[in-house]
Amino acid sequence: MTIADVVVALNGKLMAGDGTSPRVVGAVVANDLMSDVLLVDADDILLLTSLASDQAIRTAHIVGAMGVVVHNAKPLSETMLKVADDLHIPLVSSPLSKYDACVKLHDALEAEKRA
Amino acid sequence: MTLEEVKNAVGGNVVVDVPEAQASCAYASDLLSDVMGHSGEGAVLITIQNHLNTIAVCTLVGTEIIVVCHNREIPPDMAEAAKREGVAIVTTPLSQFAASVALSSLPPVER
Amino acid sequence: MEGYKPVILQGQQTNDDEILEKSPPIDAATLGGDSSVIIMELLQRFKVRDVMKRKVLSVPRKASLREAQRIMRESRISGLPVSEEGRLYGIVSVNDIILALDGGWIEESCEDHMATNLVVLEAGMPLSFALRYFNNYSYGRFPVLDSNRQLVGVISQRDVMRALLYELSVEIRKLERKTATVTGEAEPAQNVNYFRREYAVVRNDLSSAGHAANEIKKLLKEHKVDRVVARRIAVAAYELEINICIHSHGGILTLVIQDDAVTITAKDRGPGIADIEWACRDGTSTANDWIRSLGFGAGMGLSNSKRVSDEFDIQSEVGKYTRVTCVFKLNKQAEGAAQ
Repeated sequence: MTIADVVVALNGKLMAGDGTSPRVVGAVVANDLMSDVLLVDADDILLLTSLASDQAIRTAHIVGAMGVVVHNAKPLSETMLKVADDLHIPLVSSPLSKYDACVKLHDALEAEKRA
Repeated sequence: MTLEEVKNAVGGNVVVDVPEAQASCAYASDLLSDVMGHSGEGAVLITIQNHLNTIAVCTLVGTEIIVVCHNREIPPDMAEAAKREGVAIVTTPLSQFAASVALSSLPPVER
Repeated sequence: MEGYKPVILQGQQTNDDEILEKSPPIDAATLGGDSSVIIMELLQRFKVRDVMKRKVLSVPRKASLREAQRIMRESRISGLPVSEEGRLYGIVSVNDIILALDGGWIEESCEDHMATNLVVLEAGMPLSFALRYFNNYSYGRFPVLDSNRQLVGVISQRDVMRALLYELSVEIRKLERKTATVTGEAEPAQNVNYFRREYAVVRNDLSSAGHAANEIKKLLKEHKVDRVVARRIAVAAYELEINICIHSHGGILTLVIQDDAVTITAKDRGPGIADIEWACRDGTSTANDWIRSLGFGAGMGLSNSKRVSDEFDIQSEVGKYTRVTCVFKLNKQAEGAAQ
């Protein structure tokens, strides 16, 4: 599942970074506490968060995440978009809540496995 | 969903027991301001914020059950406040993502 | 005392093209010889922000010229920026002080007498560019602004020379090692490769907090550090950087890459940690609610850093400083001798 697929699954909109990136979701991490995200030992993380700040992007970069989704259609600051572009992290805005997004992503990932 | 159902779904441990606690939906977030702004009324709160403030926010949004992920330890002052306010706490080894998926399989309760 | 000339510029901004035209290009022809290639590369690679002094002495607009004079005398500088909250309004120079003492207006405000048509450098400018400004103007130092026009540092020719000399000596040592191997001499056993970078971390500046860790991660990739180890290093760097930012009065994050290890050091100016053992535990934090609402303060910073590093050391004195050192072992590269 690429970031483009994520945008579709979550009724989202790509706000910054490369939406055509071929990287696929390795793991989904739904978390707002960045120090916890740093603990995750997975590759190609898709970070789901309500934290609409530069820190979400910077943390994503540190752990080599393949993308960041911010929920509840929270407005994203100019600096956040700029940092996402600078660090090449695809940033998606979704109107869904984190819970609903988790469920939708799980369903989409399961469907992929079955296909 | 009842507390028992929630506990079983996430394979968790009831740290603060409020047997009659129920939830009609679920909300996952660790930012308390976000919970206050967007949580549905009477939702299960899925979070890792093992902090006293979490209980206060629960009372504001009518949350009766909290699922604390990654088996985070519940500090005594949080547990006491939870007991006082009638908020049940379940800890689970699951992540927020996995816990959300687990709870989504439960039918919501008609109040 | 460096020589000083009043600002001659008319109009608002510097005309960079004009500067480039007037000053000689920094290239092989001008510098002469093969060593110039290394120098040129260094001048392109390094930016003003890598070399500038981040601690900027300044005065607010309403301060008196006498106050400016005192600071300039105590710190032995010939130009003092006038700024408030990061915004640069002008510069007071030694010449301004001399005129004020002579004319009798030394008690008046800096605002009324400062120079306002300023030559400034941008933090992201390569040094090669900056050197042309030094060439073209006789100012000893320039204020440095970031992309948001905020005053972030001061750079002097001496800063540039010192950095270049250091990096040149590193390059020379590398070259010497290569030559020794080619002629069949026994390669010295000790660590020759040494790359060092320092980053200032400003207290409570959460908008850019983490930028050093992001830079470090990129550098680790450039230096071909193993991906898994690089991630551990980046995590430690990030945690330590955030700690300096939210818990201290500000400090410095240092990266050192050597052949067999990478070291991250975080040193701050206080307030120090009274109970180090408590601080290093999972989940313990002195963070307030504001910090937690931003997604930090879960109390994992030091314990995370300790967990991911091969060697971990923390020293602290209450009221003075805290220094955390994390060492990460690298596998010795098999191709070392074959260079």
